Amino acid sequence: MRRRERRFLPLTVLGVVFALVAAACSGGDAGDTTVETVIVEVPGETVTSIVEVEVEVPAEGELVTLVARCRAKPPIEDGRCNNLLRGVVDANAALSAAGDSRRVEVKIIQDNPDAGDYVTEFELASAAGEAPDIIAAGHVNIGTWGASGIIADLTDMLGDFPEFDDVIDSLWSSTELNGRRYGVPQDAEARPLYFRKDLLAELGWAQEDIDSLPARLASGEFTWEDMFDTAEEAVNAGVVDPGFGWWPRPKNGPDFLYFYYAAGGEILDDSGALIYDQAAAQKVYEIVGDAVDRDIMVDTRLDGDWGSWHNGVALGSVLFWYAGSWQWAEWAELFVSDLGGEEYLFENVGFGPIPALAGGTNTPITLTQPFSYMVSSATENVDLALLVISKATTTELNTEYAVTSGKLAILDSQADYEPYTSARFQSEMAPILEFTTFQPNSPFFSSWSEAYYLGIEAVVSGELTPEEAVEVVVDILDNELGDDVIVR
Amino acid sequence: MRTFGLLEKGDISLTKPLDSDVPDVATGFRRPQRSALGRRFRATVTAYGFLGPAMALVLVFFIVPGILLLILSFTELSSANFNDPWSYIGFDNFSRLFTDRFFPKILRNTFFYVFTTLILFNLGLALLLALVTTNMPRRAGFFFRLVWLLPRLTPSVVYILMWRRIGQADPFGIYNQLFPEFLGASGGNLFLGGSPWTFVILTNGFIGASFGMIIFTSALESIPKDLLTAAKVDGASLWRIIRDIKIPLIKWPLLFISTYQTLSLLTSFEYILLLTDGGPGLFTTEVWALTAYKRAFASYAGNSQWAFGATWAIVLVTVALILAVGYVKMFKFNELIEEPRIENL
Repeated sequence: MRRRERRFLPLTVLGVVFALVAAACSGGDAGDTTVETVIVEVPGETVTSIVEVEVEVPAEGELVTLVARCRAKPPIEDGRCNNLLRGVVDANAALSAAGDSRRVEVKIIQDNPDAGDYVTEFELASAAGEAPDIIAAGHVNIGTWGASGIIADLTDMLGDFPEFDDVIDSLWSSTELNGRRYGVPQDAEARPLYFRKDLLAELGWAQEDIDSLPARLASGEFTWEDMFDTAEEAVNAGVVDPGFGWWPRPKNGPDFLYFYYAAGGEILDDSGALIYDQAAAQKVYEIVGDAVDRDIMVDTRLDGDWGSWHNGVALGSVLFWYAGSWQWAEWAELFVSDLGGEEYLFENVGFGPIPALAGGTNTPITLTQPFSYMVSSATENVDLALLVISKATTTELNTEYAVTSGKLAILDSQADYEPYTSARFQSEMAPILEFTTFQPNSPFFSSWSEAYYLGIEAVVSGELTPEEAVEVVVDILDNELGDDVIVR
Repeated sequence: MRTFGLLEKGDISLTKPLDSDVPDVATGFRRPQRSALGRRFRATVTAYGFLGPAMALVLVFFIVPGILLLILSFTELSSANFNDPWSYIGFDNFSRLFTDRFFPKILRNTFFYVFTTLILFNLGLALLLALVTTNMPRRAGFFFRLVWLLPRLTPSVVYILMWRRIGQADPFGIYNQLFPEFLGASGGNLFLGGSPWTFVILTNGFIGASFGMIIFTSALESIPKDLLTAAKVDGASLWRIIRDIKIPLIKWPLLFISTYQTLSLLTSFEYILLLTDGGPGLFTTEVWALTAYKRAFASYAGNSQWAFGATWAIVLVTVALILAVGYVKMFKFNELIEEPRIENL
């Protein structure tokens, strides 16, 4: 008999667990007053503080749960989703003030997957009806997601939230597709030229020449061609090893687009069609081929390995390199923290806009790729999602996030906000934004970008000449995009 | 009356004939005689009952995805038109694929990768390891086989990260840092930069060899010792024993490994993805399965071309099916698995 009872014990336990799970799942819209506590971890410089958010739901009210999905590099970018959590208090206060009986809570899913996997995950979740209500992603995704309709067109609702008036005007264009807005800028960055001050000194540069380099870059006096000459000189003088004169990023990404812009290329015509400008592309291919020929860069530089790339640039093996502003925070936090972190970087590394290409547009350049908060078109609570986003779009929260993550201001009000203006890196990086450009939001940009980059890879590896690369890329674009690209 | 053998022609008995009208030993009752049709029906149901689970798996994980893949390949499904997933565009994707400038190169790469890895490692090294480790003391043989199993036991990302750290160009790669001019390398750039194929095949081969090694070892161990003793008594050399006794007797595992590993290599891409991502340069180490994956899932700026990826994949599935049928015919699998002729002795 006892044996028999024991046999039923697991089944009973299973039944109880199932009943509890079922009860938990069916809850959420009870009429009684509820207090929800949400814990937010806010990374500081030395300690991680915890913020508790209480949500009080009126008796006749409804508690709406929003799910937010963020791709963020921990810990420096954790504010991307955490700021939404921290906006919950103000969002509920606004609902209460407006006499709205609904209350909102936010559950976040935040990690750092590969960009491609992240995109696929959201698309499959959308197809399965399981999409998160809010997703933070690079603005280029608006090109495809806006076109496919899996994110909501927010244009007509943005005006309901005065917080959004504070967003820097030029950033809104990154959220647009065919004149409609599909997102709210979450952050902004610049992509500067970094240089090693100590290596320039070793090459024989006077201190005032090193100190004035950012200004000479901004004025267009020190050009891309000058940079290559200096890098070649450093290689020949043995200041850096062959191939360590100048490094672009090791795999495809937005950086290579400003190469094309600097060479005079245009990417969108007035009708919104993509353009492949053969002359500009050939110039880009000639530049990277030239870097290999002159031993400034090795022919295997585009090996996709971020690990060795970071080690090379952060630890002082490379003279010049193109990278993102946020990577400054990464180097300080992850690569040179034992050498003194940011202090070490300020002492040894300088930055300025990407130099003017004398053979191209002859003006300095950079590129910004703002992350945006987007709202799934499947959510029934677009207004609540926007409300929470608006409460995360504040001077305080964005400044804290920017300073922690090496990003730049997205709000006009941050320009006068002391914690932002007193942050040395942000204030020195800010003028570079004057030269900024964006990637286009187009459903066809992905294919364009991959074909264009293939030409760069082929020339760097020595498999094709710049002329041949252009011919191959045109052939690929023709096959991939047909009439959706204008080759000229 | 047959007492052994596979189910065939209505015979579901392994120990005693069903159609005999004899008393049942257990119950003592006389069993009624069944009609031929009934026996055949029962046999068919029993056979399908045994095959059922495997068939369900094949149906759910191969036939259904295969059909979906085929349907997808006739659409233009991508991130940009998720709202209209089934828009039919005929053979456009196939024409795009076959007019792709790099289609011949990727095809060549695929066959080169599959057959070089197969012959040198998955068959060659595996057989060598099995022969060597079965010709040494048992414990030592076990130890060496365990060592060769380590790559397979290591998570793929960890395994490839270790190889990357070994094979990176100087000063990041251990090998190139220590031996910058060894084996004809110039500028400390052997392996990942200078000869990526060597690297890709080595890393895949070291893993692939262990599977064949295990199968061959068990086959070699099961060869009756009498045969080997008799050969030795007759004065056969070690080479003659291997060539004329061992290899002919492990013909079945050899053919099985050839077939299985060909198909496995044809569809594997994860190690190449992690190691070279198809580079360096212009599709240097890109194989078919990797292209299918990249088209469908790995676009930087976020336009996953599901349908075009499916087109690459369905062509690969077709090639794999043709190869599988080819292997079955070429190696006469039916003869290898034919019914034992024990009753003829």
